[in-house]
Amino acid sequence: MSPQRPVAVTGAGCLCAAGANLAACLEALFAGRRAPAPPSLFSTGHPASYPVFEVPEAFFPAAVPADPELLRTARLAVAASAEALADAGWEIGELRKLRVGVIVGTTVGSAMNNEEFYRDYRGGGRPDLAAIRRFLRSNPAAAVARHFGFDGPLQTVVNACSSATDALGIAAQWLRDDLCDLVLAGGADELCRTTYNGFISLMITDTEAVRPFDRTRRGLNLGEGAGMLVLESDALVQRRPGRARARLVGYGGACDAHHLTAPHPEGAGLRRALEEALAGAGCAPGEIAFVNAHGTGTPDNDRVESRTLAEVLPGVPFLSTKGFTGHTLGAAGGIEAAFTLACLEQGRIPGSVGFAEADPELPVAPVRQITATQGRLALSQSLAFGGNNAVIIFAKGERA
Amino acid sequence: MSPLAIQGIGVLGGFGCGLDALRRSLAEGPAAPGQLAVAAGAQELQLPAYLADPAPLERFVNKRATRRIDHFSKMALLGAHLALEDAGALEASRERMGVVIASGYGATRTTFSFLDSVLEDGDAFASPTHFSNSVHNAAAAHVAIQLKATGPSLTVSQFEMSVASALLTARRWLAEERVDSVLFGAVDEVCAVLGHCWERFFPEPSRRIEPFAFARQSAVPGEGAAFFLLTGDEQGRHGRITSVRQGRVAALSQAAGPWLLNADGHSSCSGYYRQLLPGPAAVTAATPHYGSLPVGQAFDLAVAALALGGAGLPAPAGGETLPEPWQPAGGVLEADALGCLKCDGRGNFGAVTLARG
Repeated sequence: MSPQRPVAVTGAGCLCAAGANLAACLEALFAGRRAPAPPSLFSTGHPASYPVFEVPEAFFPAAVPADPELLRTARLAVAASAEALADAGWEIGELRKLRVGVIVGTTVGSAMNNEEFYRDYRGGGRPDLAAIRRFLRSNPAAAVARHFGFDGPLQTVVNACSSATDALGIAAQWLRDDLCDLVLAGGADELCRTTYNGFISLMITDTEAVRPFDRTRRGLNLGEGAGMLVLESDALVQRRPGRARARLVGYGGACDAHHLTAPHPEGAGLRRALEEALAGAGCAPGEIAFVNAHGTGTPDNDRVESRTLAEVLPGVPFLSTKGFTGHTLGAAGGIEAAFTLACLEQGRIPGSVGFAEADPELPVAPVRQITATQGRLALSQSLAFGGNNAVIIFAKGERA
Repeated sequence: MSPLAIQGIGVLGGFGCGLDALRRSLAEGPAAPGQLAVAAGAQELQLPAYLADPAPLERFVNKRATRRIDHFSKMALLGAHLALEDAGALEASRERMGVVIASGYGATRTTFSFLDSVLEDGDAFASPTHFSNSVHNAAAAHVAIQLKATGPSLTVSQFEMSVASALLTARRWLAEERVDSVLFGAVDEVCAVLGHCWERFFPEPSRRIEPFAFARQSAVPGEGAAFFLLTGDEQGRHGRITSVRQGRVAALSQAAGPWLLNADGHSSCSGYYRQLLPGPAAVTAATPHYGSLPVGQAFDLAVAALALGGAGLPAPAGGETLPEPWQPAGGVLEADALGCLKCDGRGNFGAVTLARG
């Protein structure tokens, strides 16, 4: 694959358990703060408690109040989008004159799984259809476009945990194809009982705070949130020079074609996605300043990632930020892209909270402490159910 | 745009399995819909629905290998294999093949089966098999695993706009030479819960879609899969996709047509077709052959490819009067291109144009 034309990223926004916006999240990351807790959004009947990373109500901006006709995932996506657009310096009225596309990665946000509705239905009742109407109004990409009044193409990517990383790579492709002037892209996902029970059933969830890459890791903690970026066409960037926080210079994706829920043991798909992203960026592995790894804290994921990073990107420092956010599923790639971009600007990465003891089975380990980084490129990668692997590479922009 | 050459097509739906079954249905007229058992309070209703049978999958995949694979993914697997077979590519390497799947609602039966396991046995006994198969990209994963397709994989869920949206990205993958081919598929299924909702939203069930009776709600739910093997070649065995557009209704300027509308009996969508095509246009619809489903536009693409290949275009269903100033399209297609148009009930459209060669 030949090098791809870089695409400017002019704005970023995110909210998750780490913070109400990108700046607050970064502050928490560099302070090493995290607060996993038992879920308060729903109750469960498990004998053990599995901590989660919830977004407190106070983190939502006043301009995005709770809406009974909208799923929480859509609300998270709108909130992060509003921050990203403001960061990019756009007035919404100006954007409505442009071809604005929206691509949002999600898992829960596209699932018709309202338990209350279904319980009533199973009981032979005629449950209120409000739950179904809410689902039909809440397709994340459509909900974001409707909120801001955009009329360009929409895509809700449902690639499980690589959804948002894929969404960002696809956004760059749409801009290179001149489908849009600007694309708002990233991911959003809410915590819900269905995924909580589902991940526990797979026995990959920890009853303690998540410990990515640690010898004692036993699984993930679920989280929720959204991370959205603003990507712009070359023509638009030329109209507003100096706005780029970063450039998306590489995107790679490959499927393990191996197992529905487990990664390929040799990291075949991840390796290929990394090589494709590096080729697209036209850079050598040694030029990457740092990697924001997927780092879920499950034994399999972390083993495969560590081995693959040791072989493909030897000596490159890496971290997992899921110790701060939990695994936000379809949102993870968006939140981590925003973190990657911000850390690239700052020239440093936080320590991987939860990682304390190196695992002798893993050839490389993440950074434990705040680490200064060298270079103008950084990489974020996501692995997913279905064997999906997605990798994006950012270069520093003019605002850095 | 860079062309998408259609090298193979695989379809299954209420009309049967395979392109020949679709051809027969188009030539002989749509079959009567089947029946979907739907709970309505203490009673059970039989809702007319176009149902698909993925049993012929056994021809391609050992039955044992699919015993834990649900109906939704079986339909996808069968559509995928049929498309490869039609292209003569069943034995080809798939290291550089991408998989793109569009679905309006995903594997709804399995989603509710997972909830059954929680409600019947408790949170601690939730079914891991149902959970992992309920994830939207499970079908794409099963396709990739069975076919050893190690290129990139994408699943899109944009309700009725899923087909056009996913095609936008499939096209770009080929243009950027990320892949040599894309196995593009669309899948949706019906289930008892969807049927229950359908009966509540539309309490007077119809047994026959009348696509152009715009004021009347005549939609009949359908399910199935439509797959296409796409390449970046100049020529396709089934023609080429020459343009894909998706956006708000106000944004489309009318092209010449003729048009194959995915008018599927939902009266809430009809006004948008009129807005998009306000002038004279030759139009028809094939939805009575496969029913109403979010990814119905993919079946239209198959019908359009057959029509451009000489099979003829179905005329509007008998007895229907088209809204002025539209004219009926149908029979042998003289034009070299055909537009496929889908509107949802919220003012979005997806438009895909196919051309011969």
